[in-house]
Amino acid sequence: MHEARNGSRRSPARVLVGVLAVGIVAAASLAASAAGRSTDKTISVAIVANPQMQDIASLTPALFTAKTGIKVKYTILDEGKLREITTRDVGSGGKAFDAVMIGMYEAPQFGAAGLLQDLTAQAKGDKSYNYNDLIPAVRGGLSANGKLYASPFYAESSFLMYRKDVMAKNHVTVPARPTWQQVAAIARKINTPSMAGICLRGKPGWGDLGASFTTVLNTFGGTWWSAKPDGTPDKAQVDQPAFRTALDFYAKLVQDAGEKDAANSSFNECLAQYQAGKVAMWYDATVAAGLLEATGSPVKGKNGFALAPVVKTKASGWLWSWALAIPKSSPDPTDAWTYIAWATGPDYIKAAGTKTKGGWAAIPPGTRFSTYKIPQYKQAAGAFAGKTLAAMEAAPIDNPGTTKRPGLPGVQYVGIPQFQDVGNRCTQLFSSVIAGSLKDSTALSQCQQIASQAIT
Amino acid sequence: MSAADATLKGRVGDPFSSPWRRRLPLLPALVFAIAVTQLPFLVSIYYSFTNLKDRTQSLIPQPTRYVGIDNYRKIFDDPFFRQAMWTSVKMTVLAVVLSLVIGTLFAVLLDRRFLGQGLVRTLLITPFLLMPVVAALIWKQQMFSSLFGILNKVLTFLGLNSVAFISDHPLASIVTVLVWQWTPFMMLIMLAGLQSQPSDIIEAAGVDGATPLGIFRQLTLPHLRRYLELGALLGSIYIVQAFDAIDVMTGGGPGSTNVPYFVYQESIGGGFRYGSASAYAIVVVIFSIVIATFSLRVLSGLLKDDRA
Repeated sequence: MHEARNGSRRSPARVLVGVLAVGIVAAASLAASAAGRSTDKTISVAIVANPQMQDIASLTPALFTAKTGIKVKYTILDEGKLREITTRDVGSGGKAFDAVMIGMYEAPQFGAAGLLQDLTAQAKGDKSYNYNDLIPAVRGGLSANGKLYASPFYAESSFLMYRKDVMAKNHVTVPARPTWQQVAAIARKINTPSMAGICLRGKPGWGDLGASFTTVLNTFGGTWWSAKPDGTPDKAQVDQPAFRTALDFYAKLVQDAGEKDAANSSFNECLAQYQAGKVAMWYDATVAAGLLEATGSPVKGKNGFALAPVVKTKASGWLWSWALAIPKSSPDPTDAWTYIAWATGPDYIKAAGTKTKGGWAAIPPGTRFSTYKIPQYKQAAGAFAGKTLAAMEAAPIDNPGTTKRPGLPGVQYVGIPQFQDVGNRCTQLFSSVIAGSLKDSTALSQCQQIASQAIT
Repeated sequence: MSAADATLKGRVGDPFSSPWRRRLPLLPALVFAIAVTQLPFLVSIYYSFTNLKDRTQSLIPQPTRYVGIDNYRKIFDDPFFRQAMWTSVKMTVLAVVLSLVIGTLFAVLLDRRFLGQGLVRTLLITPFLLMPVVAALIWKQQMFSSLFGILNKVLTFLGLNSVAFISDHPLASIVTVLVWQWTPFMMLIMLAGLQSQPSDIIEAAGVDGATPLGIFRQLTLPHLRRYLELGALLGSIYIVQAFDAIDVMTGGGPGSTNVPYFVYQESIGGGFRYGSASAYAIVVVIFSIVIATFSLRVLSGLLKDDRA
């Protein structure tokens, strides 16, 4: 009892000292932050956790903040989380970010729904940004109704990669513009127990299996939905013969000559299998070429590249871009544009080539013609740069299939908000078909139901 | 405060009487708890009667309307939700039963004294301390992977064909990870049960000539019964919420979408239909309350039996 009393008598002094200390620190930090606000500005940017984006985050203080006095606070998220957070933030008019990185699927949709700032005037007015240098297919994919809603940081198409040495050993030549039937025949011919013929994505997800499969679907003459004349979705087309042909072709090819563990394989898994010499061909994003040809890659110099295989269309490669956009609710749109013009402008690409660890082959590719004119890049990426540019330009963004598509432009997806959900759920079913645990007819009728319900 | 104090000041219903004075400081906590748990629930109930969607989910934003019980009616027509329910049941029952059985075995082994007992116990508990996402990643990449997986390395070494575990057996793969994570939890509960067993009865049974298996079946198992019930109840409550393993390992692939993953996909996982997602969530809450009440009644009944 006595001790406790003594304790309580002593404590007011201690408390006073504590309060004073906290108060001084708080006042000092308040003063500091007030001073900080008045001299330099800070913007908040959400980006996706890819190597190229992580490079720009580390180069920003030296190359951007030093010149403009604008500090950039990055939130780096994986693709799925970024999509969740930006969709919620942009959709609810939140003020968390001055600029957000979004994909080609979101940019025109959010733009058309009035959630993003129109960047056209600023992009055209800024000489150093050089609007006309942007590859038209990419620019078009990020626009809606002629207005540019996001500025591309990085862009890719899809093509076929193959091991030249394996083809030579089997006396096979891969045409520069192959058809899917040719590719399937080659895959089945060269398939061995230790090395599969081809790696195709089989993991559920609209951006995983959904992307690869939809390019195949397009060129087989199928579509997810038919379109009304005004561009809205009319009827689900999953139960149509062309859709079934495409799914059966895809599933059969993976079962006969595809990678092991297909229902669990997407970009990263296929990359690992290809680099480990477990697959001889791989149909995926053009950006993979840079990784296969990078210094230290076990398959460096052994790779050939061909355009995305076709059946009924002239080109079938997909088109994707990660791009920076300014939400309507951005607290500081002027500084956000200054940042975007720097990050996605031609000068950053040149600076990145000399300053990043990965060197010239690791710069953000696919957005500008000028990138493919840089001598050092041509040298570092000689094996695939020409093929990548050809694939980017060939990507059939406005007319991906044989019939009119609903919604906004898109190749490996349908440019309507419902596609994300329909794609996710249907590819779960298709993944089961590839794994052999579900009949194609069951998957197609269930998917038809999902696709029909989504547009009502 | 003495009893005399309380009787002096304490009149029933007087808010300044001592029981009230003692409760008053708890009031902010109670208000806070209600605000952060019950208000969101009420808002969800409201949303479940609307067609609320994310604004990014329609090219021409539509106003949110009241749709009555449409969302609820759709739930019972939706074959995918029924499938998710069924997957949830299979996943939970398999994981709970297997982890209980294995956990009990480990507990029986750990109940006897041996050299290195502390070390073995710590190692056995470790899986439970891991973050679920990490556990799922470890199993996906290091165990099940057809390329780097230890299991397939062993199979190839033995001259057997490699198996695409996650692709071909998605549900079994997920259940394996859940069992691996939850066995230690069950083991701890069973160990507590075993150690509360009076040793004199067992000694007496031994003296009477009972075999160890007989002792286990006739004495230990009945004694463990309420611990088994408790393990099953707590395990079910936690495992029915499994999400991490599904998201990391299969992305809801071949028949592995359970109810939480389904609701995730309906809401922020791509569907962005907050109205119908709320309805699904509320149906799940109702089911959970029914099951939990039932289980708790069973449990408290057992405890009463025991006392009587």
